[in-house]
Amino acid sequence: MPFETNLLQILFNSLISGSLYVLVGLGLTMTYSLTKFPNFAHAEFITLGAYIVYAMTDILNLGLISGIIVSMLITGFVGVACFLMVFRPLANRKGTMVHLMISSIGVGIFLRYAIQQIWGGQELHFSKVHFAGYNLGPLRVTSLWIGIILTAVILVIILHLILTQTKLGKAMRATSNNPSLAQASGIDIDKIIMIVWFLGAALAGLGGFFKAADTRIVPVLGWGILLPAFAVIILGGIGSFYGMIAAAYILGLAENFSIIGLISLGISTDYRTAIGFVVIIITLIFAPTGLSGINFSKWFKRRRPHEGEVME
Amino acid sequence: MAFPIAYLLDMLVFTGIFGIMALSLNLEFGHTGLPNFGKVAFFMIGAYTSALITLAGYPFILGITGAMAVSAFFGAIVSLPAIRLREDYLAILTLAFGEILRLILKNEEWIAGGVLGLKGIPEALTTTSFKSALYGHLIVVYIFVVTFYIFLRFLEKSPYGRLLKAIREDELAAQSLGKNTVWYKAQALAIGSAIAGSSGGLYAQYLSYIGPDLFMPVITFAVWAMVIIGGVGNHKGVLVGALIYQIFERGSRIFKDYLQIPIDPNNMMFMIFGLLLIIVLMFRPEGLIKEEKIKLL
Repeated sequence: MPFETNLLQILFNSLISGSLYVLVGLGLTMTYSLTKFPNFAHAEFITLGAYIVYAMTDILNLGLISGIIVSMLITGFVGVACFLMVFRPLANRKGTMVHLMISSIGVGIFLRYAIQQIWGGQELHFSKVHFAGYNLGPLRVTSLWIGIILTAVILVIILHLILTQTKLGKAMRATSNNPSLAQASGIDIDKIIMIVWFLGAALAGLGGFFKAADTRIVPVLGWGILLPAFAVIILGGIGSFYGMIAAAYILGLAENFSIIGLISLGISTDYRTAIGFVVIIITLIFAPTGLSGINFSKWFKRRRPHEGEVME
Repeated sequence: MAFPIAYLLDMLVFTGIFGIMALSLNLEFGHTGLPNFGKVAFFMIGAYTSALITLAGYPFILGITGAMAVSAFFGAIVSLPAIRLREDYLAILTLAFGEILRLILKNEEWIAGGVLGLKGIPEALTTTSFKSALYGHLIVVYIFVVTFYIFLRFLEKSPYGRLLKAIREDELAAQSLGKNTVWYKAQALAIGSAIAGSSGGLYAQYLSYIGPDLFMPVITFAVWAMVIIGGVGNHKGVLVGALIYQIFERGSRIFKDYLQIPIDPNNMMFMIFGLLLIIVLMFRPEGLIKEEKIKLL
């Protein structure tokens, strides 16, 4: 099959990858900043979401929409359960960040092999769900791809409105900024953290379904997305919602454009996953706080530091 | 008759090989506080380097030396972007490094056979019979275990080891005493990776075959389990941890023949492994054998 090198298709594919990373990265970055550790079990929330949609549509014959809703609910509850049963008690027992990271690996291994036990290790496909494909001029699109992009865009708009316009959003921002001050101001931070874990895991599950529908369902589905997801949240700046969105689409573009380079050099396109690794290294060297930590206005107007102010 | 003894010897060889890995992680994490989540990468570098050197016809000792040198180089270089920062960045970076390295070795056939891996890696000692070969392996592996154990004990008691512990306890304080902590952390990772690399070399010559699929990330976490179960910061403890892990892994494999359970034994072993990791962290994070206090005059 000749590889499509038209620019429009690459831009469109970048949009798809970026949208997937938005769904997957959101929970990762939010729980990271609220609970102060990178949750490696996030990969398994992604996988679980895909398998539950499969169970709902292919085995229980539910419709796709209800399948996705059930899957998001279950994945969300699994996320909250992990937090309540493992991460919160461990943090209360003065577990360090490394202890929390290792425990999340333990949770991840448990979930992955539980999934493998229930559905088997072989790859599965959604047989009852089909997505129509169209050719718009030089552009090849399917309803799935449009669904992925629309879902991410709508989600970003809704979350933006929640974060800026509602009391819940204000509480979420306050909790992520300074938990003890938020608590002192009367915010129930436990409730906020649980909402974030639920939302993060549910969206990871949704992202997992999209990824699986586009490729196949395997137990290592989530593990394969975890590396780019970490690249996205580190590039965006941990805990930064808007930085994460920008980083997701930047990585999407970088990965898809790298395919042209890899093909013209005659190297395997598998290496596009290495782009995430390169992004992590570059970010850590030059801007460890990510996009959200860069003061862009500094580049446009030169200003002299005020009296007593320390210039970064 | 010969079977149980061979099985026991095999288990001890594996305990030794992974015990060396656990010792190296103990230096990095237990003493210096650096969470290296890419242990398998340095294990892999060591295995491939020593395999390539010995397959080219050079002696085993050169293979191991090469494995240690190359692993040490990568250990110091890879971590450089992250060791100035908080420990979680190091964990993510090293984890990613392991995955990328496996990707490279899988795709590049010219380096080391790609997916097929390398076959017919010469053994350290050439022996005639199966049983004497096993004893030979046991001796070779435990020479390394004992050497590294003595070396690391010596290091722990030296001023250098106390400096590493100072970095673990309070990096800022160590810096304020004029220590270049980033440089010492890079050294600790280089030494740790060199030791992990030698363990990879031993693994390659023992199995006489290596391929990318032998180096999955789960190995990293098996080594972490050995360190955490055995005792973080205690070299004796992590060797015990390595033995416990081997008994657990093999025990669950033997058990499956006697137990009638509807669960796949491999899946069950990993599920229990995940739970065990959480339970140990929750109820005994310091492990079975606690870290020794530093003896002052």
